Amino acid sequence: MTPEQKAVAGKVGAHAFLILFVCLVLVPFIMVISASFREGNFAPSRLVPDKVSFDHWKFVLGIPYQEVVNPATGETRLVRATTPPLLWFWNSIKVSMISSAGIICLSGTAAYAFSRLRFKFRGVTLNTLLILQMFPMVLSLVAFYVILDFVGRYARWLGLNTQSGLIMVYLGGISGYIWMIKGYFDTIPTSMEESARIDGASQFQTFLRILLPMSLPIFAVVFILSFISYMSEYPVASVVLQSSDNWTLAVGANSFLFEQEKLWGRFSALAVLSGIPITTVFLLCQKFITGGLTSGGVKE
Amino acid sequence: MNGSVPLRQILVALILLPALYLNFVIYQTGNAWVALAMLIVLALGAFVYLSESAGTFRYLFPGFLGFGLFVIFPIAYMVFLSFTKYSSQNLLDFDRCVGLFRQETVPAGKVSYKYKLYAQDDGQYILYLEDEKDPTKRFASDPFELTPGVEPKVQQESVKLRALALIDEVNGRPLETGQITREKLLVPMRGRQFALPDDTLVGMAGLMKFASRERVWTVNQDGSLTNKKDGRVIKPDFKQGFFVNDKGEKVGVGFRTFSGVDNYIRIFSDPRIQGPFLRIFLWTVAFSGFSVILTFAVGILLAVVLERKDLEFRKGYRTLLILPYAVPAILSILIFKGLFNQEFGAVNAFLKAIFGFAPEWETNPWGARAMILIVNVWLGYPYMMLICTGMLQSIPSAIYEASSIDGSNPITDFFELTLPLVISPMIPILISSFAFNFNNFNLIYLLSSGGPKMVGGGIAGETDLLVNYTFNIAFRDSGTNYGLASAIATVLFFIVGFLAWINLRMTGRRVKI
Repeated sequence: MTPEQKAVAGKVGAHAFLILFVCLVLVPFIMVISASFREGNFAPSRLVPDKVSFDHWKFVLGIPYQEVVNPATGETRLVRATTPPLLWFWNSIKVSMISSAGIICLSGTAAYAFSRLRFKFRGVTLNTLLILQMFPMVLSLVAFYVILDFVGRYARWLGLNTQSGLIMVYLGGISGYIWMIKGYFDTIPTSMEESARIDGASQFQTFLRILLPMSLPIFAVVFILSFISYMSEYPVASVVLQSSDNWTLAVGANSFLFEQEKLWGRFSALAVLSGIPITTVFLLCQKFITGGLTSGGVKE
Repeated sequence: MNGSVPLRQILVALILLPALYLNFVIYQTGNAWVALAMLIVLALGAFVYLSESAGTFRYLFPGFLGFGLFVIFPIAYMVFLSFTKYSSQNLLDFDRCVGLFRQETVPAGKVSYKYKLYAQDDGQYILYLEDEKDPTKRFASDPFELTPGVEPKVQQESVKLRALALIDEVNGRPLETGQITREKLLVPMRGRQFALPDDTLVGMAGLMKFASRERVWTVNQDGSLTNKKDGRVIKPDFKQGFFVNDKGEKVGVGFRTFSGVDNYIRIFSDPRIQGPFLRIFLWTVAFSGFSVILTFAVGILLAVVLERKDLEFRKGYRTLLILPYAVPAILSILIFKGLFNQEFGAVNAFLKAIFGFAPEWETNPWGARAMILIVNVWLGYPYMMLICTGMLQSIPSAIYEASSIDGSNPITDFFELTLPLVISPMIPILISSFAFNFNNFNLIYLLSSGGPKMVGGGIAGETDLLVNYTFNIAFRDSGTNYGLASAIATVLFFIVGFLAWINLRMTGRRVKI
């Protein structure tokens, strides 16, 4: 082979390899979209639905529809979701948004102290944070359960089976983000803050007016990463939230897939409906996120 | 801070006042230690935000409070629980257990009362009692809840009644006996007990009346209980967490008790726990190891191919290839659960059509393990790809040009230049990826639920990770052994902590003290 032929062969090979991978990535998603429009509750297994039906979408959106009970007689019944599954998506967005906002407030201020101020045990605390962040929340579930049970006796809106209780537990996930934000603060030179201090600004003012505006990119990264990780969080939500109108997307989506009866069609419609907005947001912010990842974030 | 000083004080006061009130309520209900802890935190907070000398901690306080309450405290509490006997059999604390015995009553039949039930606007009820012989003795309860048609499962605390002066009226809408029956309130009412101001108990006796009742058990000085009817004595056995009679048989429900290192001994010596524990541990390590190696291999391969500058559609490929990372993992995992369905799933339909065989992804342990690894590679390679891309871009192209003069090909380039350059900065990321997969609860729980069941392993499944095993012991119906679960979680805590510590050493992210 001549070098030119070699180069062409290499390029064709690279394209073939990449196309194969893209297929492996896309086929599951196409099958889910097809399953959501397919009549009956079958596991995703076709690229194009054989019989098209919008029943699953109607169910997920909370629109009542007629379901054929007996094909022989054509008998139908009215089906309507008792809890519209769209509500779970909304719940998830709400919980994840508030938790992420809380995480930013808590970890932003703490990261400022770790980056700009000097105090006793600073190093030890930072290292402890890093080690403890690796410990998954699932393992302290028993303790969370007991704490929320106790809190709920005095403030019911903050106890078990409340979204505010779940948000409180989620706020515990700050340690990793403190590290990320601190890392970013460290890269910003302190000269501007120092000159502002000389001009008579208080410490809080330099933090609020000078450092924060310069650090918006890292806050965006932290917000998106924590938002996505809470959208997917299952175990804590499944133990804390008990009634179906409180469920998050993860708990609700899994509830369609009982051991006895797996409602794949409904699940698929819900998955498509809720997956698309999150995926879009992620892809739009991809540049930010890639930058944040290299400074140490792990998506869960 | 000249202008904003009063604002700060006002803010602190606004937060502090309701918090102090809540603190007082908690203290009043008898949780003195919790109230004290809360008071200390509140005082610290007030000091930090009001004192001029505590500047640094103003920024740290909210973060530390959240961290202490929802990270440190749960872990400490978990370690504490691991030294206790705490399970579905030993659920209540000792006082509540004694309280349950104390609530066991028999009709004493001396005094009977007419009753009325008043419905409140907020759905609660007030009970009104009047002595049948002496109508001046009247009592009313505070509003309490009744769930129509449901008998309370656990014996609830008795509802307190207070004496009512003659002129007092009870608020609310009175319900007739017929209405009470129709609204299915009799069942929950029968399940409740009510305590008069002098602590004698009353309960429903028939449809129309309430009668005084007598406690069956009296508490003795040494903590044992005596049965008034037949004089039996039962003693608390703090080793078993049960009250036992003189024959040593358990009586009533159990209570939580301190059990020392029993749970830990069980992990390492009880064959029913130890067998599965070891196997699950090995699988957890193997799963994490293979996941890291495979995701890294696929990720770096794709990153290298995508780095070819002359390739068309590079951006398009990259966007499509990171899709598995962009879609919420929980949805992808459940989608794969459907695709890998043994009978109707797409994967087996495809394999059958092309190769004529259909692996048992659900019933064969090796099939299930393979499925989990395949799915995890699919989920995890984009992360590695993104990071490798970043690192590849920082490698100067001059070294490739130099090696191409020496007549190298892409494969030797990859193994002799790229890999050695990328691997060392990747090590910390590989370690944290290992730690993440070590605790990859969602994947296993949602994809295989740990199945297939381990033969003779009780609650353990062949594909369970240690976290899933712990979760199952604590929360799955047949398990609910919180003490044992906490002990396993504590062991896990040290394993993960060790990994994190190694990671710290390798990254040099550690802060010099």
